[in-house]
Amino acid sequence: MPRPYSPAVHTLEPEFRALHAEGVIDDATAARALARDGGRVFSVHAELRATLYAGVLLVMSGVGMILARHLERIGPLGIVAAIALAAVACGVPAMRARRAGRMPGTAAEYLLLLAALLASADLAYAERQFTLLGPLWSWHLLLLAVVHAAVAYAFASPLVLAASLTALAGWFGVGGTLGDALHVGHSTPELGGRAVACAALIVAWRYADYRVRPGSRFTDVFDHFAANLAFWGAIAWCLESPWLFAGLPVLAALAYASVRRGLDTGREAFLVYGVVYAALGVGAAITPRLHGLTVQLGFVLVVVCVAAATLWRLRRRLQEPGP
Amino acid sequence: MSRWRPTPAEERWLAVAAALGDAVPRETLFERSGGWRNTGLLARSALFVLGFVAAALLVGILRGGGEVVLLIAGLLAIVAAEWLTVTRRLYASGIEEGLGVAGYLLVGAWIATNLAPRTAFAGTSVTTLVLIVAGGAAGLRRLNSFVTTCAAIALVSWIGTTAAARAIDGAIGGGLTVLFVGGAIAASALALGAREYRRPSHDRMLDWLVATLPVAAYAQYARWSALDPTQLAVGDGTGRPVAIVLLLTLGAAMLWTGLRRRRHAPLWGFLGCVAGLAVELHGAVALATETWLILCGLVALAAGVALERYLRTPRNGLTSAPLTTREGPLDLLQIAGAALLAKRTGPEAPPAESTFEGGGGKFGGGGASGRY
Repeated sequence: MPRPYSPAVHTLEPEFRALHAEGVIDDATAARALARDGGRVFSVHAELRATLYAGVLLVMSGVGMILARHLERIGPLGIVAAIALAAVACGVPAMRARRAGRMPGTAAEYLLLLAALLASADLAYAERQFTLLGPLWSWHLLLLAVVHAAVAYAFASPLVLAASLTALAGWFGVGGTLGDALHVGHSTPELGGRAVACAALIVAWRYADYRVRPGSRFTDVFDHFAANLAFWGAIAWCLESPWLFAGLPVLAALAYASVRRGLDTGREAFLVYGVVYAALGVGAAITPRLHGLTVQLGFVLVVVCVAAATLWRLRRRLQEPGP
Repeated sequence: MSRWRPTPAEERWLAVAAALGDAVPRETLFERSGGWRNTGLLARSALFVLGFVAAALLVGILRGGGEVVLLIAGLLAIVAAEWLTVTRRLYASGIEEGLGVAGYLLVGAWIATNLAPRTAFAGTSVTTLVLIVAGGAAGLRRLNSFVTTCAAIALVSWIGTTAAARAIDGAIGGGLTVLFVGGAIAASALALGAREYRRPSHDRMLDWLVATLPVAAYAQYARWSALDPTQLAVGDGTGRPVAIVLLLTLGAAMLWTGLRRRRHAPLWGFLGCVAGLAVELHGAVALATETWLILCGLVALAAGVALERYLRTPRNGLTSAPLTTREGPLDLLQIAGAALLAKRTGPEAPPAESTFEGGGGKFGGGGASGRY
C-alpha cells in the first residue's frame, strides 16, 4: 500500500515486522502497530483537546475580566442574564447529542465544561452582587457541586465531574492544590481533617457510582481526587503534634492502598502518589524534630533515596496495558 | 553492546517495547534491548525530581567547604548516575537523569564561579553560557530531549542578551533577534527531522525543539506583556509586522510538514505559532483585552468543533478520534486542567462585613465550622 506521506522519517517498521514474522505479536497487534508507526492512521485527538481547552480558558478569562471591569456599564442583571444565556448555548451540542442517543464528542464535552464554568461564574457573581444566601454564602459551593454532578451524570462527562468535585472540595474548605491544604501554622490539622473527610465522601460516592454503573467512566476521576485530597489531609496532620500520631498511620495506610491500586490496575500515577506523598509526609513529620541542619538534610536525603528505590522497584512490577 | 548507553538498535527495541505495552511479554524484548531498563513517563518524572533533589541535598550537606563543594557534589552526583547506568543498566529511568543533570550543572556552576569576575563573551556574562553548555552536555549524555530543549531555550534567551543581538534589535525592533534565532533553530530542526535517524532519542530531541521553540522564542520576544496594549513588547510597534510574517511563515511550514509527515511535533509547533499570532494581532487591532480573549477563545472552540466533525470519519488515515483507550498522562492533565479552571471560576469569600466566620480566604471555609 503506498504511504500517504513522506517516508523519510523515523520508523520502527523493521522491528514490528520482525516480531510479527517470529510470531511474537499476532496479526491484529502487528497491523495496529504498523499502521500507527507508519502514519497510515494518525490521530490529532491530543491537539484537538489542547485547542478546546485553550478556547475554554480564553473565554473564561475574558468573562472574568468583564465581570470585574464592566459592572457599572452593563448592570448586574444584564451580566447575569447574558452569562446564563451563554452557558445554555454552550450546552446545546451536548443536549443534541444526548437527544440523538449519542455520547457527546470531545468538542461537545469541552463546550459542556465551558457551560458549567460559566454557570459557576454566574452564580458566584450573582451571590456577590445580591448576597442571596447572606452568611451562608459558602453553600453555593455545595449547590454548584450538586448541579455539576447532575450535569456530569446526565451527559456522562468526566470533565464536569471534575468541576463538581472541585466545588465539593471548596465547600469542605480545601482548595485545589497541595499548598491550599497545607497552610502551616494556620489550623493545619483542621484543614487536614476536612481534606480527609472530603476524600472519604468522594470514596463513598465512587463506590456507590461503581455499584450502580459498573464500567463507569467516572471511577478514575473519583480515584485521583480522593487520593490527592486524602494524602494532603494526612500530610497536613503530619505537620503538627499530636496529630502526627494519627497522620503517620493514615499516611502509611493510604500509601499502601494507593500502591495496591496502582499495581492492580496498571496505573502508574497511583504508584507515584503512594511513594512521593509518603516520602513528603515522613520528611515533614520527622525532619523538624531533628537537631542540626546537616542531620536534617541527611535524613531528607535518605528519605529521597529510599523513595526513589521503592518507586523504581514498584514501577518494574507494573504491567502496562497494550495499545 | 555498550556499557554506557544503549546502542541505536537497543534503543529502537526499547521504543518498540514502549509502543506495544503488555501486548508483548517483557522478557521477550528484554534481551533484544540489551537488558536496559526504563520506566513510564510519570514515574520517570518523579524519579528525575528525586534525583535532582538528592544532588541538591548533597550540596547542602557538604556546605561550608567553599566553592569546591559544588565540584565535589557535582562529581558525586555524576558518578552515582554513571554507576546506576553501568551496573543497573538504567536508561531513561529518571533517577540517573536527575542525578546526572544536577551533577553537570553543579560542575558547570563551579567552573563559572572560578572564572574571573565579570568575564564576558559576546558582550554578556559567560556564567549563564557555562551553565547552558553544562545542561546541554548532560542532555546529550543522557539522550534526554527535555533537558536538551531546556538548554536550547536558555541558549536562545542568552543570545538575546548579547551585544550583537542588542545592536540588531536596535535596528530592526526590540526582541526580534530572539524570535528570529528561535524560529531559525525550530525551522532547522524541522528540516533535519526529514532525515531518518537510527536513534529514536535523536528524533525526539528534534521533535521537542520543533514543538516548543516557536512558543518559547515568542514568549521571550513578547514577555507576555502584549496582552496589555499599553505595554507593547516592541516599543514603537515597528517589529510587529515582521513578527507576524515570521510566525505566519513558520506556522504554515509546521502545519504542512506535520500533516505530510504525520508527526505531532510540527502540529504542536504550529499551535504555538498560532498563539503568538493571536497575541500579535491583538496589538494590531483596537479591541479591549477581554473582547479579544473571548473572540480568540470562540475561534479556538469553533476550530475544535469543525475539526472534530470533519475528521470524525477518518480521511486518508487522519482522524480526530483517540487511537487508544488506555489512560495516558494527557487524561490526567485534562482532569487537573478542568479542576483548575473550576477553582478559578468558583465563588470567593464575601466581603469582610459578612457575618460568616472562617473560610480563610478564597475558595475556602465552606460547610465546615470555620473556626481557624
